[in-house]
Amino acid sequence: MRMVEEGDRKLYPFRPYVCDGMKLDTSGLESTAPVFGIGNEFLSSGFQMTPSFQLPSATDFEGFQKEAIQMVKPAKGTTTLAFIFKHGVMVAADSRASMGGYISSQSVKKIIEINPYMLGTMAGGAADCQFWHRNLGIKCRLHELANKRRITVTGASKLLANILYSYRGMGLSVGTMIAGWDETGPGLYYVDSEGGRLKGMRFSVGSGSPYAYGVLDNGYRYDMTIEEAAELARRAIYHATFRDGASGGVASVYYVGSEGWKKLSGDDVGELHYKYYPVVPAASVEHEMVEVGAA
Amino acid sequence: MSIFEYNGSALVAMVGKNCFAIAADRRLGVQLQTIATDFQRIYKMHDRLFIGLSGLATDAQTLYQRLVFRHKLYQLREERDMKPETFANLVSAILYEKRFGPYFCQPVIAGLSDEDKPFICTMDSIGAKELAKDFVVAGTASESLYGACEAMYKPDLEPEELFETISQALLASVDRDCLSGWGGHVYLVTPTEIKERILKGRMD
Amino acid sequence: MTKSTIELPPKGGFSFDLCKRNEMLFKKGVQPPSFRKTGTTIVGLIFQEGVVLGADTRATEGPIVADKNCEKIHYMAPNIYCCGAGTAADTEAVTDMVSSQLKLHRYHTGRESRVVTALTLLKSHLFNYQGYVSAALVLGGVDVTGPHLHTIYPHGSTDTLPFATMGSGSLAAMSVFESKYREGLTREEGINLVCEAISSGIFNDLGSGSNVDVCVITKGNVEYLRNHVLPNPRTYTSAKGYSFPKPTEVLMTKVIKLKEKVEVIEGGDAMEE
Repeated sequence: MRMVEEGDRKLYPFRPYVCDGMKLDTSGLESTAPVFGIGNEFLSSGFQMTPSFQLPSATDFEGFQKEAIQMVKPAKGTTTLAFIFKHGVMVAADSRASMGGYISSQSVKKIIEINPYMLGTMAGGAADCQFWHRNLGIKCRLHELANKRRITVTGASKLLANILYSYRGMGLSVGTMIAGWDETGPGLYYVDSEGGRLKGMRFSVGSGSPYAYGVLDNGYRYDMTIEEAAELARRAIYHATFRDGASGGVASVYYVGSEGWKKLSGDDVGELHYKYYPVVPAASVEHEMVEVGAA
Repeated sequence: MSIFEYNGSALVAMVGKNCFAIAADRRLGVQLQTIATDFQRIYKMHDRLFIGLSGLATDAQTLYQRLVFRHKLYQLREERDMKPETFANLVSAILYEKRFGPYFCQPVIAGLSDEDKPFICTMDSIGAKELAKDFVVAGTASESLYGACEAMYKPDLEPEELFETISQALLASVDRDCLSGWGGHVYLVTPTEIKERILKGRMD
Repeated sequence: MTKSTIELPPKGGFSFDLCKRNEMLFKKGVQPPSFRKTGTTIVGLIFQEGVVLGADTRATEGPIVADKNCEKIHYMAPNIYCCGAGTAADTEAVTDMVSSQLKLHRYHTGRESRVVTALTLLKSHLFNYQGYVSAALVLGGVDVTGPHLHTIYPHGSTDTLPFATMGSGSLAAMSVFESKYREGLTREEGINLVCEAISSGIFNDLGSGSNVDVCVITKGNVEYLRNHVLPNPRTYTSAKGYSFPKPTEVLMTKVIKLKEKVEVIEGGDAMEE
C-alpha cells in the first residue's frame, strides 16, 4: 500500500511535509525498495501492510525536525572498523554509549549480526541502526526465499543505501559498514544516512575513526593471518578508545570467512591497556621514594 | 557545550581524622580528544595546603600563577605560611574581582590548620565559597562524584581508610564520564607526612 | 595609563579584562557558565523588642544541591545582620564589603552603626550595578532609633516593612506571615513564626531546603541560632561505612615527611626526609 499518492507528490516543491495529517512515506519498509515513478504494487502486493507514522502539522517543519533531532540526540561517539584481508573480513568495534559527557553504557553491542554470513556495524543513532539492520535482515531472508540463494553483500548494502536515501534529510543518523561473505568472496561496503555507499578494503566509522585509521593503515597487509588481523583490529580499537573520550568499554572482534562470521574476542579495554603497556613492577609496588627537601 | 567541559576534569577532597585527602583525574583533553594522561590539576601551595583547579586548563594555570605570586608576597611580608581559611578568602577575592568576566575554573582547596584541623572548601567560578565538613567535589564528573561520595563517605576516617574511600569514589565516578579519568592522582596529608599516589584506572 | 612592572595586589573594584575574551567565546557558541545560586527562602519580622531574621540552608547549582548546610544570614555589624538570596558570590561579597565599610565608619564616628546606613550603602552599590550584581537581601537590626527591617532588591530598590520575605520561597513564606503575623508578637512567638515561614519554604519550594537558621536581634543583644530547627536529618547513614570488594591499585607512591613545625626559621627548608 503506497502512502504517498501521486497527487500529494506534486505538492512537494511548494510545501514540503507541511500538509495536515500527511503520512510519512514508509515504503522503505516494504520488502523491496521503492521504485519512484513506477507503481511497484506488482512487486510488493500481498507481502504486508506497511505501517506509517504521522507527520506533525507544524508550520515550520524543518525547524521542528531540527529540534526533534537535537532532543533525542543520537548516542554518538563510537569507533567501528572493518577490513578485508586474505582470509576474509575482520570487523571490530568498541562498546560505549554516551550522552554528552555522561557514559550511559559500557556494554553496547555495536556489531549487529544480520545473518550468519553478514555483519553490520553501528555508528550514529543506536535506534536507527538497530531498526534498519533488522529490517535489512528481513529483506535478505525474503531475497533468499525468493531466489533460492543468499543475497550478495553488494545487493544487501544497496538495499540499505536505497532505503536510507529515501529518508534523506529527515533526521536518520546511520553510519554503518556491511561486511560479509558471498559467492564472490569477502565483501565490505560503507553506507550512511546521507545516502552514500562505498565499496572498499578498509573502513572505520565514528568519532574515534581517525585514531583507528592511524593504526589500521600502519599495520595493514593483505596477506595477514587471521590472528594477525584480529590483533590489528583489536589494537586499532584500543588506541581509538585511548584517545577518544566517547569510545571505550569492550573491544570486540568478529571475523567473517567462507563459513560465516565468528566472534573471536571481546576484551575489556581497561585491562587491554595494561596488557599492551605493562606497568613496571618496581614502580607498581608501594615504593617509598624520599624526596629531597625543596629549598 | 559548556566552557567548563572543554578540557574535562574531576576533583574531590575529603576530610578524615586529623588529615585530609585531595584527588583528581589525570586527563587533559580538547573536547573528546585526549591530549595528555599525566596532567597535574592539584597544586601544592605549601606543605599543608593544596589547591585543585577544575575547568578550563588555560585559566586554571593562569589563576595558579597569580595565586603563587600572591602567596609568596604574603610569605615574604608575614614570614609564615598562609592559613587555609586565609588562602580560601584570597582565592575567593581574586575570583570575585572578575565577577563580570570570570576565570572559567572551579577551585577545590584543602589544607591543615596549625592545630592540625583539616579544612576543605570549594567555590564556583566567581568565588562563592562553600565550606564543607565532609567532602567537596568539582569538575565534569562532579555529579557522579556527589553520588559516590555521599554513599561512601564516613566521618573520622583514618588516613589509609580515607585514601581508599577517596580513590574508590574518584575511580567509580570518572568511569561514568567521557571527559575525565585516565588514572588518578591522590594527595593524602597528615600532620607528619604527605603521601602522593598515582592510581591505576581505566584508560578509555 | 601607568603600569608598574609587577602586578600588585589590586586596591579593589572589578576587573573587566577577561570580558572581551569571554564575549568572543560565547559568540562562538560556548555556553556562559552558571553560578552558584541560593534558591532560597529568607524572611524577617519585627516583634515587641527587636527583629528576627530567618533563612533556610540550601545552596543550589542548577538542579544540584551544592551545599546542604550553608549560612545565609550574614554579619553586617554587631547589631545588624542581613539575609541574602540570589547569586551566592554576590550576596557574600556585597555584605562583606558593606560590613567592612560600616566597621570603618564606626571607628571614625565611635558610634553604633545604624540600619539605614547599611541600607543606603547596600542599595547604592546595587543601584550602581543596575541589577547585574544579583543580590536580594533582607536587612534587619536594632539601633538607637529602634528595630528596623528592610528588603533590598537587586536593582537597588528598597522596602521598609514589619515583616518581609525574599527568594524563590518567598511566596510560601509570605502566605504564613500574611495569615499569622500581628503587631506586638513576643520573642517566642516571633521565632516560632519565622521557623514556620522558613519551613513552609523548605517543604514547598524546591530551591529551598535542609535546616532553619534564625537570628534574633534585640537592643544590645544578638542571638544567632544556627540550625535552630533540623527538619531534614539524614535518614540513612551506614554505620559500618562502605566496604570495597577490590582495593585500589596504586602505581606509584611518594612520601614526603614533614618537618616538626613550631619554630619558624628564616629561610629554613620547608621539608626534609
